Amino acid sequence: MIKAEGITKKLKSGKLLLNNISFEVRKGEFVGILGASGAGKTLTLKSLIGLMELTEGAVWVEQENNQHINIYKTSTRALKKLRSKIALIFQGYHLVQRATVIDNVLMGRLGTISTWRSLFFGFTAQEKAEAMMALERVNMQTFANNRVNALSGGEKQRVAIARALFQQPNLLLADEPISNLDPKNAKTIMALLKELSVFFPVIGVFHQPELCAKYCTRIIAIKDGAIFYDGQPNLDEKTLEDIYGEELSSILQ
Amino acid sequence: MLSLINKYKKWLYTLVVLLTLYLLIVFLKIDLTILFSDLHYVGDLLKEMFPPNYAIIWENNVVINSIVQTICMAYLGTLIGGIIGFGFSTIASNNIFNNKFISVFTKWLLSFIRVIPSLIIVLIFVIAVGPGPFAGVLTIIISTIGTLGKLFTESIENLDPTSANSLKATGANKLQIFKFAIWPEFLPSFISNLLYCFDINMRTAVALGIFGGGGIGYKLYLSMRVLHYKDAIALITCIIVLLLIIENVSNNLRHQILGNK
Amino acid sequence: MIKKITRLFIISVTILATYFAMKVCGFQPTALQKGLHDSLFFIKQMFPPSWEDFKDLWNPALETIALAILGTFLGSILSFIIAIFAASNLSNKWVKQMVRSLISIERSIPELFILLILIAAYGLGALSAVIALMIGCIGMLGKLFADAIEETPSSVIESLQAGGANKIQIIYFGILPDVFPKLLSYSLFRLEINIRLSVMLGAIGAGGIGYELDYSFSMLQFHRALSCLIVVLLLVIIIEQISIYIRKKLSIQQL
Repeated sequence: MIKAEGITKKLKSGKLLLNNISFEVRKGEFVGILGASGAGKTLTLKSLIGLMELTEGAVWVEQENNQHINIYKTSTRALKKLRSKIALIFQGYHLVQRATVIDNVLMGRLGTISTWRSLFFGFTAQEKAEAMMALERVNMQTFANNRVNALSGGEKQRVAIARALFQQPNLLLADEPISNLDPKNAKTIMALLKELSVFFPVIGVFHQPELCAKYCTRIIAIKDGAIFYDGQPNLDEKTLEDIYGEELSSILQ
Repeated sequence: MLSLINKYKKWLYTLVVLLTLYLLIVFLKIDLTILFSDLHYVGDLLKEMFPPNYAIIWENNVVINSIVQTICMAYLGTLIGGIIGFGFSTIASNNIFNNKFISVFTKWLLSFIRVIPSLIIVLIFVIAVGPGPFAGVLTIIISTIGTLGKLFTESIENLDPTSANSLKATGANKLQIFKFAIWPEFLPSFISNLLYCFDINMRTAVALGIFGGGGIGYKLYLSMRVLHYKDAIALITCIIVLLLIIENVSNNLRHQILGNK
Repeated sequence: MIKKITRLFIISVTILATYFAMKVCGFQPTALQKGLHDSLFFIKQMFPPSWEDFKDLWNPALETIALAILGTFLGSILSFIIAIFAASNLSNKWVKQMVRSLISIERSIPELFILLILIAAYGLGALSAVIALMIGCIGMLGKLFADAIEETPSSVIESLQAGGANKIQIIYFGILPDVFPKLLSYSLFRLEINIRLSVMLGAIGAGGIGYELDYSFSMLQFHRALSCLIVVLLLVIIIEQISIYIRKKLSIQQL
């Protein structure tokens, strides 16, 4: 469970990038965050992991022992442990191109392995086996020893999800994960994300409201830094227009 | 077996590298033990060097003159070398003269000039005209011909041929094509490369000074020779500031030129 | 109209500056003409190279190569460590600015001067030369490496960071594999420069073929000097060709 509480980010010039954003996401939910460019979607996502400095607000994460920890008020060591349980995938370019697929997956657990061991002794056989299992889950096990730069966009995203799975996360965040993919691959990824949401909450930023309507369990729309809509995934035209502005209606014609 | 090697590949590479390092150190008879035991000599030296004697910059113009001399050396070398190098590059480019043999030969000639270390070139000129800034300028001219010759050839060969071809179709002769089609396109990279070479030549001018080429490099060498370390540090500060300014100015101008065109 | 005036202005300034510079440097083409005769005569005197001496020059040549390789290798490692602090995606604004300035300053210090200081501490010899070459690499490789590190997409760093990896792990797993071909390519380019520097530093007394060259000249053994010169030329050409070949293969293979 992750809860954003009153997240606000104000620039020195007084401009509000994020304005009192609050929401709570639990296991079983696949949340799609929509909004026009620059509305604050990616900033919101980044604040959920503590990668953004906030002016005000807190992000509460539930631990195994039912304790709630505020990401912005923990020590570095506790933060590292917290983060090792949060998986993050991007639009693209977040895998190490010249490393093999399996090495990229193994990098998911660097947060839990000591620096000394990871640098000098590599990964244990057990870890490698679990990495292969993650690859099998996304149907990429045959590519385990290939270099990432030889793969297509859709295949790369599947490897990224395998890395996320290998982390055994409590939460999966995705920043425009399907924006670079063709429609078929995009649907595959969305279906995969929906399957995974059964085990842990999945929050993704998307530019594709139709796909969100089909796969997500809930949509949060952000406009001018504040939450505009939070509810059912199938949006009507009016709401879409409000979120994205006038241009969308002409696209939908 | 192969998988075993693969598994320890990282360790194998590290081992080979460390072994090569060790062999090199042994071959050169480097005594690593004195690295730290003799370190205090550096400390002694530094103590003698500080505080730097910045006063010599202002007394009797000598330092200012040598700075001016170094700048003039680099300027002349770049200008004259640039003009001659440009001449060579027009011959060497395969899209100006249609004779492949001439262009390949000229390119080879430019490579040959570049290979000869400037140490040897400065020696030749010191014998010819005696030590001093003149020999330095001549050396820089030769090395500039090599460097700019290559850079210019590359620029010319990378030019878009459409404007030249359209002029040729209207019946213009080689010289006219050059003036109206090639030169305007070439000008930004021409100036940019000149500035880049001027930056390099400033450093060469300082370094050559140490070999008797004149300028502030020579003054630096002299002061080190007579153990006037405080003077030397003052001079090196001048050199650093001078080169930093030239580098900055050169980079800014080049960004402007390449950004506009 | 204005364009014509500016052009005229630039040309006249250039002519004046050139005249001034020629005066300052004692530029006398007539002296050059006369002097070149002496030079060419001198060079002719140096022929033929003394063939017997070539076998003695084998060891110094290897020394020069060894100095250059060792200096470049250690210099690359040192430059990489410094570049980590000079990359904007790995260190904060102040540290990055300061380290970049230091790198620029090092670039402006002539390697010869660094050697002279080291000689005062460690004496003439290979150790001073290697350290001088090492430090000399920082100015160029420090900047190039830092620029290459900065080219890593921020999403790679952020996704590893989000998973809890610390800085060292991010550098080793996330940045180093992708940036390695560039590092190798830049280091090989620096090797070409360092082999020339190695000869030059040798002439000051660090050993190798540069020292033999200087020695031959001071002993007025000009045939031997020519042999040394030929060896120097060969060294430079060979190392350059090897470096260009490997770098070309690198840029084609790793895309």
